[in-house]
Amino acid sequence: MSSIRFDNVSYIYAKGTPFEKEALDGVSIELDEGMTIGIIGHTGSGKSTMAQVMNGLIKPDSGDVYIHGENIWADPKNIKKYRFIAGLVFQYPEYQLFEETVYKDIAFGPKNMGLDDAEIDARIKWAAGTVGITADLLNKSPFDLSGGQKRRVAIAGIVAMRPSIMILDEPAAGLDPRGRDEILSNIIRYQRESSSTVIMISHSMEDMARYCDKILVMNHGKVFRYGTPAEIFSDSDSLENIGLAVPQITRVMRRLKQLGNDVNTAVYTVDEAHREILRLIGGDGK
Amino acid sequence: MMRDITLGQFFPGNSPLHRLDPRMKIILTVAYIVAVFLADSVGGYALLILFTAFLVSISGIKVSVVLRGVRPLIYVIAFTSIVNIFFTVGDTPLHLWKITIYLEGIVTAAFRVERIWKLLIGTSGLLTHTTTPIALTDAIERLLSPLRVIHVPVHEFAMMMTIALRFIPTLLKETDKIMSAQKARGADFSTGKLIDRAKALIPILIPLIISAFRSADELATAMECRCYRGGNGRTRMTCLKLSAIDFVGLFVMAAFIVGVLAVNVHLPVYTV
Repeated sequence: MSSIRFDNVSYIYAKGTPFEKEALDGVSIELDEGMTIGIIGHTGSGKSTMAQVMNGLIKPDSGDVYIHGENIWADPKNIKKYRFIAGLVFQYPEYQLFEETVYKDIAFGPKNMGLDDAEIDARIKWAAGTVGITADLLNKSPFDLSGGQKRRVAIAGIVAMRPSIMILDEPAAGLDPRGRDEILSNIIRYQRESSSTVIMISHSMEDMARYCDKILVMNHGKVFRYGTPAEIFSDSDSLENIGLAVPQITRVMRRLKQLGNDVNTAVYTVDEAHREILRLIGGDGK
Repeated sequence: MMRDITLGQFFPGNSPLHRLDPRMKIILTVAYIVAVFLADSVGGYALLILFTAFLVSISGIKVSVVLRGVRPLIYVIAFTSIVNIFFTVGDTPLHLWKITIYLEGIVTAAFRVERIWKLLIGTSGLLTHTTTPIALTDAIERLLSPLRVIHVPVHEFAMMMTIALRFIPTLLKETDKIMSAQKARGADFSTGKLIDRAKALIPILIPLIISAFRSADELATAMECRCYRGGNGRTRMTCLKLSAIDFVGLFVMAAFIVGVLAVNVHLPVYTV
């Protein structure tokens, strides 16, 4: 079963004006369920549009979108339902916070779902815990928090809706390395604990290699490739042709090989490289 | 939705209208507005329609785009024509069912509608579609510069206008983004009672106001970093200069106004 399926989906921005731009061009793709999927692509390759088409915020000009096998535009009146199934976290989501307290802001989504107060309360506490917001922050104003904390609150606002598919548009953009690791590992923990599907847009090949089970590569509004990180990053030439690159550590391993060392170049994370180099020098890590 | 608003948007191009000096374009637009009000006969209106069609056709902007820009004001136009149809008293009564309206009313309504349309197309449509906001404010600053003698801060006004115009697309984009983000959390802006709908705007307005203040603050800092300190002694990178095409434009407009006046006097088929 697929989480999200696109069937020949096209979308054009600002149709009928001189600024018209084809964001998605006949995209057909079936995304797996219950895993973390990364979307990479050059700026303007259609990634962000794709994210909004996935949960029905943008209606494609042609083609069909299926969530768990259901055509989401079969009855446009029901579209709201699919926005709760496929939760979308926008880029820089901290700019949509508006409530007086963190608690109320996280409650916005669950309230719109029409849940009762006890259930909403339970979900807020659970969502806050999942993204690493401590209980003492819940009654603070979201505008008093630091940038990283605001980001977590915004993500918690979507987590509290318990979407079975969570779509995140560059969740770690603009954060320091530590904040980045924390947010991404919280998202992965959510994915594992709830056995949901996480779809994540990112520019960082390192993050993709480290956290994603599958990667979708977009280029000029079309699907370029879809596969495991090993499949995607083993072909560095075609990635470079479309303006992307393999993780830096993979480049290091390639260079080591060029210098005459017998290393495996199919290494995409620092941990793997660490083990591989230890194997090469015959050490045991001590 | 938000991004579909074309009223007042600049469309790049290289038509004769694009190449006119913005100062001349503003003067010609004022002349055009005068002509719209001068025309008060069927012949004059016909000439006006022909001339406007001519302007649109040489502007290189699609007719559909020009018409779409006018669409938001359809209610004003509808209201005006209804008022004119039912409240004009004339000599030729028409009995429609139980209501009496006058032929003059219908004609006046048609003329008024035509006038509003032409005004909108001429000003909002053609002027702003073919002139960048920067060129427009630059031209306004130059045209108003004589007022400096009586200590009107012309440059500051022009700068405020430039900034305001510059932020319209930014704020529209931001509104669109915030609306989408709140919709992703299940917000609903289009159903429910009036009071619910008003309340539904809070999740948009608060982030929008915060973002507007943030943008203003960042812009102020950026301007200060580049040592901006008002208009005194500032020179310009691009100097406006009148060229042959501007005089052609002036001549065409003058001929048109003379034409409208002549038609009014000599062909008063139906005057209001």
